[in-house]
Amino acid sequence: MDQLLTNFIRALRNADVRISPAETLDAFSTVQLVGYRNRQLLKDSLALVLPKTSDEKAAFDTCFDQFFSFRERSRLPSSGAPGTDASTTADDDGAQPGNADAGGSGDSQGRRTGRGQGPGAAAQVTREDAGGAESLGIGEISAARSALGQLLTRASTIEINLAISAAGQQVNVHRIELFTQKGLYTRRILDAMGHTELQQEIFTLTASDAIPDRRLAQDLGRRRDWLHERIRDYVEHQFLLHADVTGRRLRESLLRNLRLSTLEQRHHRLLHDIVHRMARKLVTAYSRRRKVFRRGQLHVPRTLRRNLKYDDAIFDLHWKSVKTDQPKVFAICDVSGSVANYARFMLMFLYSLEEVLPKVRSFAFSSDLGEVSDLFARNDIDDAIALALRQYGNGSTDYGQALADFRKLCLDEIDKRSTVIILGDARNNYGDARTDVLKEIYDRARRVIWLNPESRPAWNTGDSEMRHYAPYCHQVDECGTLTQLERVVSRLLQSQR
Amino acid sequence: MADIPSIASSVPSLKQHLEAHRYICSDQIATAVYLAYHLRKPVLIEGPPGVGKTELAKTTAEMFELPLIRLQCYEGLDEAKALYEWKYGKQLLYTQVLKQALDEVLQGAKGFAESVKRLHEFGDIFFSEEFLEARPLLKALREEHGCVLLIDEVDKSDHEFESLLLELLSDYQVSIPEIGTVKARHTPPLVFLTSNNTREISDALKRRCLHLYIPFPDIALEQRIVKARVPEIAPQLREQLVRFIHDLRELDLKKVPSISETIDWARTLLLLHADRLDPELVRNTMNVILKFQEDIESVQPEVRGLTDKATRS
Repeated sequence: MDQLLTNFIRALRNADVRISPAETLDAFSTVQLVGYRNRQLLKDSLALVLPKTSDEKAAFDTCFDQFFSFRERSRLPSSGAPGTDASTTADDDGAQPGNADAGGSGDSQGRRTGRGQGPGAAAQVTREDAGGAESLGIGEISAARSALGQLLTRASTIEINLAISAAGQQVNVHRIELFTQKGLYTRRILDAMGHTELQQEIFTLTASDAIPDRRLAQDLGRRRDWLHERIRDYVEHQFLLHADVTGRRLRESLLRNLRLSTLEQRHHRLLHDIVHRMARKLVTAYSRRRKVFRRGQLHVPRTLRRNLKYDDAIFDLHWKSVKTDQPKVFAICDVSGSVANYARFMLMFLYSLEEVLPKVRSFAFSSDLGEVSDLFARNDIDDAIALALRQYGNGSTDYGQALADFRKLCLDEIDKRSTVIILGDARNNYGDARTDVLKEIYDRARRVIWLNPESRPAWNTGDSEMRHYAPYCHQVDECGTLTQLERVVSRLLQSQR
Repeated sequence: MADIPSIASSVPSLKQHLEAHRYICSDQIATAVYLAYHLRKPVLIEGPPGVGKTELAKTTAEMFELPLIRLQCYEGLDEAKALYEWKYGKQLLYTQVLKQALDEVLQGAKGFAESVKRLHEFGDIFFSEEFLEARPLLKALREEHGCVLLIDEVDKSDHEFESLLLELLSDYQVSIPEIGTVKARHTPPLVFLTSNNTREISDALKRRCLHLYIPFPDIALEQRIVKARVPEIAPQLREQLVRFIHDLRELDLKKVPSISETIDWARTLLLLHADRLDPELVRNTMNVILKFQEDIESVQPEVRGLTDKATRS
């Protein structure tokens, strides 16, 4: 039974629920306390011990249902001929000797929980089709000849499970990595178990004239469908145990280093997760606020406390301290077509850092510039970005105009605590660069950082004004990929300390 | 004295007893208390404001007839306020007394070495429990028959404070440099921590706790809660108002009404002798359930539709 729980925890880890060894021990003592008998109680209890965020709880829910439903369901459908295997089928509730079809399908249908519904329903249809085409009733039935057919008619569930596992071993099912491989492995296991011969046999039997043969064909067909499902479940389970996370890690490491503009819409969800995780890491690293000592103001209680041991001779003085104000960040983003995707991820990054950077104000422009902080305050991050892009995203890029607008809007608010981040490719369509405005900002701000999504060699080519802007920035960086972006943001946080 | 082991013998029994104390809860919540009691682990409760996180701790204390020790967290909370403090005034007095007594103690002592020796023989109670002012956490450890310790809104405190809690939560002990380690007396306290998720709690803390997330209840459960808390209200009105609140939660609001607001609203309507919801009544009492002008304004035009929907059955 311990093996079961360890396996479950492994499946959970694969589903991205982080579980420490200490929590595993807790899970063991929990199971000792509540036992396996009451499914709901077990689920409720483990849900308290193992997952620790609401995301993880959701993952836990699906994982638990999948994991334990696999073990619970699927026994052999009861046979068309009760005489042959009534003793071997484990069913005690569904076998109706009078009507094999209804008994078999109804039974497996009833056991099916959630996920199994799709294939199950399909299987039932095929069965009914077969039944509809030719109603053979009960009676004498031929014996199967192929090895797999014999196994299926002999049919104790345990024996078949063993056979499936053995076939799984044979085809190295534990190497499964991607969900697209599920079909492949299912097929391989079927082949290893001698599926082809079974198919052949069913085919010949169906064509046969003798009624017992055709009856056998139907019965075998039913059992074959059941076996399919069983193997699919087995592979699914193996996938849950072995795969998921490796495939995911692979994708993640790829995505981290891919140029953001080449990414497709469908990756955004995953990217969002990655950004969030990177941000969390940064938050934990930088969230401790530095204390600044206010020299000159005595902290009387503490001083008295610390000096008691010196018999009231006060020579170890303690001063009042305050915590530093958090920095202000102004993010100015070019949201014209070419750079919009980068702006999206940088804003996502900045707003995920709310705990360490609570005062982010963001501005978007392509030609005219406007503040979009409100959008982020009111909407969730994806909507806000979409709105900002819609509002400011069209128009040809004009950095000069944007800088002038920014100056008008909030130059006065930029002080020695402010960091100004400008994200853009500095391609100004040969317009006036207005470096004077940038200089003004540079003089007032603590830091001006220019992030350019283009790779360095492309800077200063064509209408790029990078060489004119760069002198008025404290730092100029390339930010084409998530990894680069993370590095930039982490350096930003470092410099704030 | 409540018979704690028998109350906590099973989840249904706990649920029943909680209900007897007018705390209607789901199986999940009762399971949390069950595990907390049997595994002796603290429970970290998260969830939207007003779903009864604090109430659970209070009710548990009431149910077990244990004292409830509550520590409200806030920014800047430190060990002097949470754990212990020395009684400075008394310590000062003590040194005065000691000064006078010192002469007698040292009388006739020959040389420095002997003086020091005599001083050592003289009991040192300067840093002893006598002068220790116990704050909530220490108090909870020293309770003779166990207690319920509620550490409220732990997300409001600083990171340093979280680290301070770790020792307490995993081993039910605290270390005081001058004295040593103080362990929980016979029964360790039952600890509940609540968090509104204004910031993420560190993994180290989470690892030591059971994690309970209390969501908004479903309609049936909320009806039972209202029934338990405001028993006088007519069943028809109760049904309508709970349904109304549930529809309201679907809307895009700055702060959605929680259970405590549902209960407040039920009380308000009871006071107004209402027997059914109508748009006028809802408009007049809306400020009980919605706490932002912005929300009230955005809901105003929807009131008629929502009321119709809630009263139709």
